Parts: sequence; structure tokens; C-alpha cells
Amino acid sequence: MAMFKALLYSQWKWARIIIVLGTLAGFALPALSLQGAARADRGALQAQDLLHAVQSWGTLYPLLAAALGLLVAITTWAPDHRGRHVQALTLPVPRWRYVLLRFAAGMTLLAAPILAVLMGAVLAAVTATIPAGLQAYPFALAMRFALAVLIAYAVFFAISAGTARTAGIILGAIATVVVVQLVAGIANLQLDLVSTMQVVLLHGLGPLAVFTGRWMLVDV
Amino acid sequence: MTHAIETERLQYRAGNAFAIQDLNLHVPSGSIYGFLGPNGSGKTTTIRLILGLLRPLSGRVTVLGDAMPEHHARVLERVGYVPEQPHLDPTLTVGELISFQSAFYRRWDSARAALLRKEFQLDEQRLFGRLSKGQKAKLMILLALAQRGDLLVLDEPTDGLDPVVRRDILAALITYVSESGATIFISSHLVHELERVCDWVAVMDEGRLVIEVPLEKLKNGTKRLMVAQAPAVIVDAPFRILTRECSNGSGETWVVSNWEPTMTSFFDSIGASLRDVVDLDLEDGFVELLRSFRTGAR
Repeated sequence: MAMFKALLYSQWKWARIIIVLGTLAGFALPALSLQGAARADRGALQAQDLLHAVQSWGTLYPLLAAALGLLVAITTWAPDHRGRHVQALTLPVPRWRYVLLRFAAGMTLLAAPILAVLMGAVLAAVTATIPAGLQAYPFALAMRFALAVLIAYAVFFAISAGTARTAGIILGAIATVVVVQLVAGIANLQLDLVSTMQVVLLHGLGPLAVFTGRWMLVDV
Repeated sequence: MTHAIETERLQYRAGNAFAIQDLNLHVPSGSIYGFLGPNGSGKTTTIRLILGLLRPLSGRVTVLGDAMPEHHARVLERVGYVPEQPHLDPTLTVGELISFQSAFYRRWDSARAALLRKEFQLDEQRLFGRLSKGQKAKLMILLALAQRGDLLVLDEPTDGLDPVVRRDILAALITYVSESGATIFISSHLVHELERVCDWVAVMDEGRLVIEVPLEKLKNGTKRLMVAQAPAVIVDAPFRILTRECSNGSGETWVVSNWEPTMTSFFDSIGASLRDVVDLDLEDGFVELLRSFRTGAR
């Protein structure tokens, strides 16, 4: 427990601005998405408008989740990268355990924006006047946000843990796809790698699919 | 004699330019073991192999009786390490770093840490990134000593520091050893510094071990001899000739190791005469050893 606390504190010092801003954004987002629902005289058309507004704001949840996952993952490894991992490798802890502790400390910090989304969503749902026929889903939204944050954090944590060489390989792979796409375009070949990758990564059955679809605090 | 560190036929390669070759080290328990060598000779790489930061191509490393890197967590619990470059989180203060480190060591000595912080005049609130080079070095030593390790591995801990800081650090190390009986493995290219504290010494060059001896043996056994009428070929010498150069006329200057005063009679047996025996300090001995090693005159 003492080791976890030590790592949590060290990561907090690196990630505190991100966590504070992410928590504020997470809390504000549900309220902003329901800001037009405050009036009591809403009919069927207003309900449709509200759904459009909620859907528009909803695109910001996966973006916020991805940004938080990315930035916290980077700051999680930042102290070790700065010290070329010498301190980490000379601590008397099995390496798998050290990685788990680092991961858990980052995830603990991310609990703050996740809770903020939950609290903001519950508060917005309770205070807003929701037209008849519509339902608020604050817990489902918060759960989905938590899952998206966890997945983004896990993916970027794994990438950030690597060396500059690993990052180079990943960037090289992305660059190759872009270059192949460009060449195919110039040669008038029917090849759409970017769309294919998007379908495979985001619309398949993999964990990244959580980022797609509608993120609705209020729905039918 | 038990050994705190033992390496057996250790091999490691970093690219095509540098390799550790067949390294056999034997660091006696309780000794202060100086690990000498010019810059780029492989000292830091060897230390990283010993601590399990690097994985050898072949060979065996045993530290405090356990194989490395297989048992690194158990071994590192008993090893204090001061790397060549300070590697700590620059966003943490001195107090926070002490607290961070203490969380990982069961034998952490808070009283010693507090005492050393006072002695070294380290401000608890100051960020590590804002400390001077000397203060960083002192903090690294503090962290290594407060772990109450049975082995301290110090990689050029006083390199580039002013004499006052250097003296403070060496004094803290000597006090620790006298109290705890720990082994110290200290690498440096500052020969004079090691001469003051070490009882064993090893010399590395180009990834290979040149020599590993008790310091006294190296100091007392390395001499410059003024020899006259020496034959061109010397066979069965009881000492090791490191270098042999003409000085003037029929005179020659030899630098030898493993010398003992009783060996003067050897010169009568080969028809030569020994005119003078000059003591060499450790630095001269070190330089001559390297010269001889590099020219293959062993």
C-alpha cells in the first residue's frame, strides 16, 4: 500500500492539471448538454430538439475520454522516462508489479473525472425538466464513459511504456498507411485503407467500438 | 572468502562497437572495492549487468548469493545504488523523494535519512530539479545509505564535484561501512580518490578486466626498475614485466607488477644488474597497466 501511495503521489504531481481540468469538463458536460431542457413548456418537437442537442454534446464524451486516457498515460510514465527508467529498474519490486502499480495509480487518478461525469449527469438529470416520453440515463452514460477512459488509458499506457523505437514503429505504421493511401489515390486504385481501418478498429467487435455510436444522457 | 558480487565469463554486446568480454569479477564481502577504468571502458555497463538493468549475452552474475537478473527484486532490497547520472523525478522535493524511496525498502532507516539530510544541509522543500550537482549527489548517497543495504554500488559518485562535497560523501561512506560492515563497489576514473578508501581494486579497459588485486598488492608490487646489461629476451621472470624501454646507453627502464624485494637476485641469474627500484603511486601503476594491456606486452 505504501508503494502504491508513493507512486500515486508522484503521478498526481505530473497529472494534476489534466485531472482537475478533466474533472471540471466531465462535471460540466452533462449540464451543458441539457441546458435547453430547463423550460417546462416542451412539446413533441422540443423533445426532438433536445435529443439533437444532447446528441451533439454527446460527441464530446468519447473525445474527453480519449484525451484523458492519452494525457494521463503519458504523465504516468513521464517520471520514469525522464530518469531513463533507472530508478524504476533498481527498486526492489518485481517489474510486473511495478507496471501494475503505475497502471493502478493512473486509473485511480482517472476516477475523479469519471465520478465528475456521474455526478454531473445525475445532477443534470434531476434538475432538468425532461419532456414526456424521454428518459435520463446518467448511470449508463457514466459507465460507458468509465469504460472508454479505461480503454483509452490502457492502450496509451501500453504504447507510452515503450521506448522511442516502439513509438517510431507505431508512427511508421501509420505513415505507411497514409503513404499507401496517397499513392493509391494518385494511381486511381480503388483502395480505401483509412475507411477500412476505421471500420476494423471502431466499428468491429473490439473494445474501441465503445467510442462510436450515440452518447446520450437523455434518450427515448 | 565469500563474495558480495561474482561474475563468471560475463559477455555483453552493445552494438558493434562495444562489448564486455569474459568478465570474471570477485568482490569480497565487506571490502571497499574500487572499479577503475578510463571513460568508455565498460564500468557503467558492468554495473548495469550486475544490478540486472541489462541482460547478459552469456555468463553468470551472482549478487549477495542470488543470481541476477533472475532474483533482482530480492537482491535490490539489499543493494543501495548511486548511478552516474542522477535519475530522480525532478518534480518531487527532497522530502518527497525520501518519502517515495522509503516506501519501497523494508529496512529503511528514517533516523539515518534525517541525520544525513541535516549533515548534508539539504532543504526538504527544495525540488530535485533545482538542486545543484553537489546537492543531487549528496541526496543520492543519502537515499542509498538509508536503505541499510549490505552492498552499495556507486557509479562515479563524486565525478565533477568540488573537493568539499567529495570529502563529505566519502566520509559518509566510510562511516557507514565501519558501522554496518557493508561491501562497497565504487567505480571511478579518479585513481587518487579510490586510493584513499579502497582495499581491493579492479581495472577495466575496452570491456575486459585488466587486473583484480588487493590494493596494497598493486601499490607495493608495481615498481619502476632501472636495469643495466639486460638480455634481449627475458624468460621465467618471477614478476610481470608491464613495459620495457631503453633509457640511456645500456640502461633500461622496466615497469613491473607482482614485485617483491627478494626478487633482486633474479637479475644476477640473467647477467643483468638492478640499479634502482622506484615506487609508483597507484595512478602511475594504473597508467602503466593500461599501457601494457593496450600494447599487449603482458
